[in-house]
Amino acid sequence: MRLIGVVLVTLFSHYRRHPGQLAMLLLGLWIAGALWSSVQAINASARDNYARAEALLGNGFDRLEREDGQTLTRDDFVQLRRAGVLVSPLLEGELITDRGETLTLIGIDPLTLPGDSTLARGQALGGLQGFIMPPWQTRLAPDTRSQLGTNPTLRSGTPFPPMIDVPELPPNTLVMDIAIAAKLLRADDSITALVSAADTLPAAPSGFTLVRADTRSSPGELTQSFHLNLTAMALLALIVGLFIVQAALGLALEQRLGLLRTLRALGVSGRTLVALLALELVLLGLLGALVGLISGLWLAKTLLPDVAATLQSLYGADVSTQLSLPWHFWLGGIGVTLGGLFIAGSGVLWRASRISLLGLGQAQVWRAGFQRQLLAQTWLGGVAALSALALLWLSTRTSGDALDSGFGLVVGFGLVAAIILAAALWLPPLLALVLSVSLSGLSRLTYLARSWPLTQWALADLQLQLPRLSLAMMALLIALSANLGVSSMVGGFRLTFLDWLDQRLMADLYLKPPAAQFAAIDAWLVQRDVVHERLISADADSQLLEIATGSAASRRPGLPLLIFGITPGQTLMADWPLLATLGDRDAAWQALKYGNAFVNEQLARGEGIVLGDRLSLATPGGGESVTVVGIYPDYGNPRGEVVMATHQVRRLFRVSPGSIGVVMQPGEDAGLLRQQLIERFNLTPHSLRDQREVKTTATAIFERTFAITRALNGLTLGVAALALLAALLAQAQERRRRLAALWAIGVPLRRLLSIQLAQLAGAALITGLLAIPLGIAITACLVWGINVAAFGWRLPLHIFPGEISLTLLTAVLVALLAAGLPMLKLWRTPPRSLLAEEET
Amino acid sequence: MLEFRHVHKTYTTPQGPLSVLSGVDLHLDAGESVALMGESGSGKSTLLHLAAGLDLPDRGEVCIHSQSLASLDESGRAHVRRETLGLVFQQFHLVASLNVADNLRLQARLAGCEDSVWSAKLLERLGLAGRENHYPEQLSGGQQQRLAIGRALASRPALLLADEPTGNLDETTAETVLELLLELVAESGSSLLMVTHSPKVAAPLDRRLILRHGQLLAESGESHLPCV
Amino acid sequence: MCKQWNLNPLRRGLSVLCLLLLVACGPASESKSESGNSADSLTDVSGGDRAGFAGLGTSSKGYTHASSTTSISFPEDHGPHPDFRIEWWYLTANLENENREPMGIQWTLFRQAQQPQVPDVERGAKPKLEPWATNQLWMAHMALSHGDRHRVAERFARGASEPLPSVAHQAGVTAQPFIAWLDDWRLESLTNNSAGDTLDHLRLTAQAEDENGTFGYRLELKAEGPLVRHGIHGFSQKSADGQGSMYYSQPFYRVSGEVMLDGERVAVRGQAWLDREWSSQLLSASQIGWDWFSLHLDSGARLMAFRLRGGGKNHDDYLSGSWIKPDGEVMPLDGSTLTLVPLASADAAGHRIPVRWRLTLPEQSLDLEITARHANRWMNTSVPYWEGAVSVSDASSGVPRGEGYLEMTGY
Repeated sequence: MRLIGVVLVTLFSHYRRHPGQLAMLLLGLWIAGALWSSVQAINASARDNYARAEALLGNGFDRLEREDGQTLTRDDFVQLRRAGVLVSPLLEGELITDRGETLTLIGIDPLTLPGDSTLARGQALGGLQGFIMPPWQTRLAPDTRSQLGTNPTLRSGTPFPPMIDVPELPPNTLVMDIAIAAKLLRADDSITALVSAADTLPAAPSGFTLVRADTRSSPGELTQSFHLNLTAMALLALIVGLFIVQAALGLALEQRLGLLRTLRALGVSGRTLVALLALELVLLGLLGALVGLISGLWLAKTLLPDVAATLQSLYGADVSTQLSLPWHFWLGGIGVTLGGLFIAGSGVLWRASRISLLGLGQAQVWRAGFQRQLLAQTWLGGVAALSALALLWLSTRTSGDALDSGFGLVVGFGLVAAIILAAALWLPPLLALVLSVSLSGLSRLTYLARSWPLTQWALADLQLQLPRLSLAMMALLIALSANLGVSSMVGGFRLTFLDWLDQRLMADLYLKPPAAQFAAIDAWLVQRDVVHERLISADADSQLLEIATGSAASRRPGLPLLIFGITPGQTLMADWPLLATLGDRDAAWQALKYGNAFVNEQLARGEGIVLGDRLSLATPGGGESVTVVGIYPDYGNPRGEVVMATHQVRRLFRVSPGSIGVVMQPGEDAGLLRQQLIERFNLTPHSLRDQREVKTTATAIFERTFAITRALNGLTLGVAALALLAALLAQAQERRRRLAALWAIGVPLRRLLSIQLAQLAGAALITGLLAIPLGIAITACLVWGINVAAFGWRLPLHIFPGEISLTLLTAVLVALLAAGLPMLKLWRTPPRSLLAEEET
Repeated sequence: MLEFRHVHKTYTTPQGPLSVLSGVDLHLDAGESVALMGESGSGKSTLLHLAAGLDLPDRGEVCIHSQSLASLDESGRAHVRRETLGLVFQQFHLVASLNVADNLRLQARLAGCEDSVWSAKLLERLGLAGRENHYPEQLSGGQQQRLAIGRALASRPALLLADEPTGNLDETTAETVLELLLELVAESGSSLLMVTHSPKVAAPLDRRLILRHGQLLAESGESHLPCV
Repeated sequence: MCKQWNLNPLRRGLSVLCLLLLVACGPASESKSESGNSADSLTDVSGGDRAGFAGLGTSSKGYTHASSTTSISFPEDHGPHPDFRIEWWYLTANLENENREPMGIQWTLFRQAQQPQVPDVERGAKPKLEPWATNQLWMAHMALSHGDRHRVAERFARGASEPLPSVAHQAGVTAQPFIAWLDDWRLESLTNNSAGDTLDHLRLTAQAEDENGTFGYRLELKAEGPLVRHGIHGFSQKSADGQGSMYYSQPFYRVSGEVMLDGERVAVRGQAWLDREWSSQLLSASQIGWDWFSLHLDSGARLMAFRLRGGGKNHDDYLSGSWIKPDGEVMPLDGSTLTLVPLASADAAGHRIPVRWRLTLPEQSLDLEITARHANRWMNTSVPYWEGAVSVSDASSGVPRGEGYLEMTGY
């Protein structure tokens, strides 16, 4: 015990004398831990939210809808109950608070809501009166409550009924009695749904259609790919952070090699020493993990609102902006940081265990094997490249079928990882090759060597630095290429999305009139000369009963689907984006008019639907068969969708029209018409939106969606810069001595410094150049592989020269920045004292 | 105390095997001081490393207190080094991150036999009193070597192994340090095996041995000292 | 058109529904441990002090009270009395199938006011009528038993003291024509003369489903005697301190019809008993439960008798009842003319229940032993109690004397 104490104190005394190294080590751990645990906190929190939403769903409910498409009312409920059909009314809507927050309000009738057992029902009644009687109750999760603040009111100024915490509720969801909900939502006697316990109704009562519980698309499943994306990003940050740790540990070991040897000569066994070094790692690891965890939580809190917005807009999944973390998150955070530390430190420990006692005083011993290491890296890089090829082959093979998106995603990420790994492993051999080729070229042309002796020296010197630098350059390469890849993907998506938005939003004005006014407004619009065309839409819920392909056997996915009706007029037929059509565009549009359908890309990919397939859709009148004559892009939509002509949708699904898009005559002002509509029909500005507004909203959502990706991306690059700094600091002292020798033989200090900057900038430039094709490859994997698997749509590959030059510039800047600090120190040290620096 | 029996040691070099020691026998009594001389590359340091258990012989036996070092495992040998031996090297191998006082006491602390009176006396005798809080880099070469000697003796080792302890010092300093070393060895009652190439340094010691062609000879070059 | 960003709120909405069960479990289980018995109930929701069984002893400020000066008139009083807190339409029948195996059914519609009605003058302007507004809670129980099988179902509905006119309601009772319903469970009069309806021809239909399948009944009831007012002109005192209820019965029904059990329809016949009772404070605060007998004697006489545990003088039991001659003439019974002693107990769904009783009516020279046909008649409803058929025999000779129903609460 005493021995251990003395040795530990002696080992730590190194950090007391070199606090910078300790700081770098902890910084690496901190950054790696913080990024990782913040993403994990976000994921864990979101999963907890999904679990709450799914737990409440239980086995789900079947739903009844009116066959005539009319809104359900209390009377429907009572008539069904009195006929012995045990349904419960449900009223759902959105409330906006005084602070502008939107909440989902669900009004229920606790007396008829299906429950599992009579016993449960009996207990439920215990707290009933407060719930169903004035002043009623607002039941909500504690996180929703704290989000609302004290004394929230509705936008109208109405206070909420007294709040009761129910931790099991999903976030942003309020539950009230249907009586008060109807009042707050001004629903009068209309209800949103009639539900019954899943599978208790044998058939739909006459006049109604029965929609069976859909347990398929739970938010957890839908958002899985998004969280996988986040995790991959965090893993990248973790790895880059561990590069810093590795550099700092390597430095600390190298500087303590003498100490370790001395200790062994003084009678500390090798095993004890390695064990104590490991203990040192654990102690530092715990400290780093703890700090990382705490700042990770802070980071997560900062990022969560953006993530929540993304999940909401992309998947419609409600995630609280408050963190709620299960216990295993804490253990996991510390575990991963410690595990990473040991991976980074294992090399150091291994080397420490093999210190030759006889090599006392020869600090460079362990670097002798660099050539061997380069060879090994070349081979390993080759293996990684081969696996990349294998994965590429696998992904092209599987993407044809309707593949399991989880598998596709794993293959996609595996491919990206293999490409990055191969490139990172090949970087040091490549740098070494470039150096040795330039050096031999120089020495062959002796007159050059004679006139540029310093260049020769600089190249040789860089060769000497390479073992130290290679790791940092690898980290830089990974960060740069990931950065380029992700920003090209986001940029490309943005371009495609805006383009697509322009094509889809062809009307100048969109209005969603109250059902009662629809006909009047439409008739009025027909008579306006300024109106070029009216695009009337309608939507209906349906189910994809069967897919019949020409040759293969038909499939029965039983998938719930949204049917969307569009008006195939002049405007849409000209520009509406289509990816593929059966026959030419005109033929497809004609077919659509006569009752056939387009499907969106995600449905086509997800279900393996090809043009010409026949889909059987559930309608109130039974199964209806339509032919797929087109496939259209539908970015941002997580679900499959079918488009048909509006009049067909209305006829088949017995729904009323939803909205009118007004296309103005060229040169006419939509603002005037908008004003007229509002005045004449007493419309709320809410039910009328112009195109610009819709576009702005969509773009804003888009920006928020990728805010987190960008943030993580930037952080990763920052971490890579730190890794480089750590590596440079690690060799600063040694370099100072070497430069001092040159200074002594008459090279000006300024010259020496610029040489060093040029060395690093050159190495970084080569790294940056390699990062460009690598980044493009990653972009390609993202848009052609991972996006398809994760979201169901494929994007065109866009290459941005601006991004590429930015990447190169970043590489050089990062290198110069990282070189700056050691350089400054060098500049301020008198060279004489450099010569006197003793080698210990 | 220390005994070498027919010790052979060969190193593999790129130019082929190099026999450094071929049948060395050596016996050192308690309290005895022996100088080991020889030309550069004659194997002096190898012999010292073998005596310290830092390396093992190919053949033959090295015993300390009649205990064969080869029969111990690595931590056994570390134990012997810690408790029984003191080592002084040509390069001082001080711990840069520990101050003078801590460096001096390091081995005694590791061995669990720290004696503060003796340590204080050592500091005084080594001329380092008042510099306890300095770090090695702030000391002159002579001071550093004196500190290294002090570290080796602070645990009162039974055997002090010194490898050219004055090799890095100028002549005057070397003399003072050597004088001090011998005095302190006598005071702590340790045996001493010192490698040196300087006859002047070797002179004050009880015996002088010469290593030549892998064999150990008495100073005269005639008498072969057998293992008793 | 830019609806690709839309979510599907309805599905999310649905997902949230099961919550209520979770939601309300909290407070309910809490109060359970507080009260220490299973009297966790419908009326508990009135908050405040819990008293008596199922809160029926809770103070009833603001409600109309039953008293001996209240009179009962038909057919109006077949309908609901929303100014009283609690009310029920309670039907039990002793039946037998074609193999003469005894069967039993129960059907009850409960009404409970959630808060006292505010007189119109105080309320000022009438508030807007809201479709879902609630101040009355409806609850219905049905049970069907045969041998060791005992199937129970329970339903609820919200209601208002002044139901919206010309709108359908999930539950309610109308006096003319007499219909008491909740969902598709109905008790309705078949008489042509609704103005003078004495409930002498009724039809009862109810059907429910549980994990063992569908069960239900469809019965026709014909009275062979008049309606019977208990106590003093229908005021039935329930404790020594004067609490009580308005209470009348039709004990003379002949029943025929069919029951559905285990997927089979079985023709049945037998006799039935309808209780109508309303009150604002049925029990006094110290009464913890009751044992209630409604017996059809072979002699043609009917006997209603109950024991309220606690609430008598010095907190002993309070005994009361009615001796009903075959012609419908009523003789009130009390502690001096009626004794009731439990003889043996048995276990029913984890509750210790008296299943054998001795009932003596000295004035009628009757000494009867009353035995539950089956101990397993526990009503596992939100207000739990025991309700089952009994057989009546002479205590000394063991000669059968009749049959009936027994209700026991607060165990």
